[in-house]
Amino acid sequence: MSILAYNGGAMVAMKGENCVSIAADRRFGIQAQTVATNFEKIFEMGPQLYVGLPGLATDTQTVMEKLRFRKNLYELKENRSISPKVFSAMVSHMLYEKRFGPFFVEPVIAGLDPKTYEPFICNMDLIGCINQPKDFVVGGTASAQLYGMCEALWEPNLGPDDLFEITSQALINAFDRDAMSGWGATVYIIEKDKVTIRNLKTRMD
Amino acid sequence: MFLTRSEYDRGVNTFSPEGRLFQVEYAIEAIKLGSTAIGISTSEGVVLAVEKRITSPLMEPTTIEKIVEVDKHIGCAFSGLMADSRTMIDRARVECQNHWFVYNENMSVESCAQAVSNLAIQFGDSDDDGAAMSRPFGVAILFAGIDEKGPQLYHMDPSGTFVQFDAKAIGSGSEGAQQSLQEVYHRSMTLEEATTAALTILKQVMEEKLNSSNVEVMTMTPKNLFHMFTKEQVEEALTNVFPAEHPTPIKVNKQKV
Amino acid sequence: MSLAIRPYYPDYSTVPTQHHFNPYADNGGSIVAIAGNDFVIIGADTRLSAGFSIYTREQNKLFSLSGTTVLGCSGCWCDTLTLTRILKSRMQMYQQEHNKVMSTEACAQMLSTMLYYKRFFPYYISNVLVGLDNEGKGCVYSYDPIGHCEKATYRAGGSAGALLQPLLDNQIGQKNMLNVKPESVTKERALSIIKDVFISAAERDIYTGDSISINIITKDGITQETFELRKD
Repeated sequence: MSILAYNGGAMVAMKGENCVSIAADRRFGIQAQTVATNFEKIFEMGPQLYVGLPGLATDTQTVMEKLRFRKNLYELKENRSISPKVFSAMVSHMLYEKRFGPFFVEPVIAGLDPKTYEPFICNMDLIGCINQPKDFVVGGTASAQLYGMCEALWEPNLGPDDLFEITSQALINAFDRDAMSGWGATVYIIEKDKVTIRNLKTRMD
Repeated sequence: MFLTRSEYDRGVNTFSPEGRLFQVEYAIEAIKLGSTAIGISTSEGVVLAVEKRITSPLMEPTTIEKIVEVDKHIGCAFSGLMADSRTMIDRARVECQNHWFVYNENMSVESCAQAVSNLAIQFGDSDDDGAAMSRPFGVAILFAGIDEKGPQLYHMDPSGTFVQFDAKAIGSGSEGAQQSLQEVYHRSMTLEEATTAALTILKQVMEEKLNSSNVEVMTMTPKNLFHMFTKEQVEEALTNVFPAEHPTPIKVNKQKV
Repeated sequence: MSLAIRPYYPDYSTVPTQHHFNPYADNGGSIVAIAGNDFVIIGADTRLSAGFSIYTREQNKLFSLSGTTVLGCSGCWCDTLTLTRILKSRMQMYQQEHNKVMSTEACAQMLSTMLYYKRFFPYYISNVLVGLDNEGKGCVYSYDPIGHCEKATYRAGGSAGALLQPLLDNQIGQKNMLNVKPESVTKERALSIIKDVFISAAERDIYTGDSISINIITKDGITQETFELRKD
């Protein structure tokens, strides 16, 4: 079994009309054994910028700390907020530095540009190859299920409420068919003037 | 009497010039020495009643088993060489269980009879092709069962021929019993009437006096499927059918008057 | 002893050359089945592929076993061919032995035992069997390659099974829906869901596409339909 599937986890980010969403499950497990059901995989990297790090849990936390360090350094040097696009390039670059001994995470990034409020989503593989589609990105052990859900549910120009509903439905129904992820979900809806964080109750089996 | 046939009597699969298989015919004759068994099929269910020959007072009557359960929905009664019947019961049971295993449904009564028939004709002289038996079976069988077509009764003889019957008698008293069955049988018979008829006819053809240890009765109904009468139930049935000979035991009142 | 990896020269190799035969091929394909109260619909894509090449764009993967039973197969195509031929002959043998057409339930059990009989050299097929039961109600049975059988009312199987099953859970099983009353799916809705989910599957699964063949089974018989998918 891949080391990427050692702890389990599901992640999705979607673009909407002037808003983006990013959501993940809350399970932390060691292979089939669930250890915690309040594990955070999505981290704030700016007022309207979030990164999700599904994969090996230890690397999730290490990469998060390293990214926070590099982001802070950038913002101190440049004296301005980091844009999602620059942040993604930074993540990609950091992962590729470890090309032959990688961190086992597949990052998902969602945010709004600090100046233009342009919605931005992207994901990448564990060595930093960026994928930046117009609709949605997925990651984690339930990615096949998420692709099926998102491909059917997503449509262009979703408002924040519809985006929340579709992101949640896609994530929950997908991880219900994956033994390695689930046990609650967290959904972030990022808008120009606010970020709404909702913890969802789901079936716990 | 049989002297003229001797040449064609040796091989079990050798036809006589008249086109007969003597060994098979003799096997059918062997049935006529067996105890009588009667089966009647009605719209409510099937009843089987058989005679048990208690040849010695020291014999344990319950160890003679002439009616057996093949599956919950199929029962059999036998007449003839009882030892042979065990092989056939085994086959019938295996086939029923295999059918359930493969198809998750009850085997039909006809298919069960067909399966036993396939075994019955596997007699032969040669041993190179793996022929199982050297002679035909010496038993006739009554299959009583319920499947999607409803209650059914089948009869099979040692040649493997099986035919569906409304009512059928086999064994030593079969000729007389069959005649009587023809007289009493009608399509709208209830199961109780059939049980009464079976016991009445059995009484006519049996040498011994009927009692709860020398008859076996079994009913096959959609509700209870295979149901073997207990000794008490046989007693009760006999009391109902022949009140004069089987009076209800009088309860002894121990109270002082 | 040096642990340095030496270049491999076949002519000077000291170990015997080993060749491996792989008896299985993954020819892809997806199956979706939905049952209702008086009907059952099964759809399968028509792409037959191996790796990055497409053998044909018009391969039917649905096999009608009787007037009320249809089997959908995806996976190793040569195993599918063998299994369906054996099934066809078993159906005929049953008909002749027992003087009746095999019911969907009996067929489902038989398929399970047939698959298990090859427990240690399985048919590498994802099977979905659909049909009407003795009461005329639609039913779906799905199998793993060694004969585990599960009865359901809807099922997605094959290469895009993982993509499609959660969608069916949501849309037909009404999973994670609040304030909805449980209701059975209509034939029209089932048909449109099947088309929708295959469109989704064709977007992401390279082994699913070209078109789908659909069988609709009701008490009046089996009707067939096709629906085009993207072909890239």
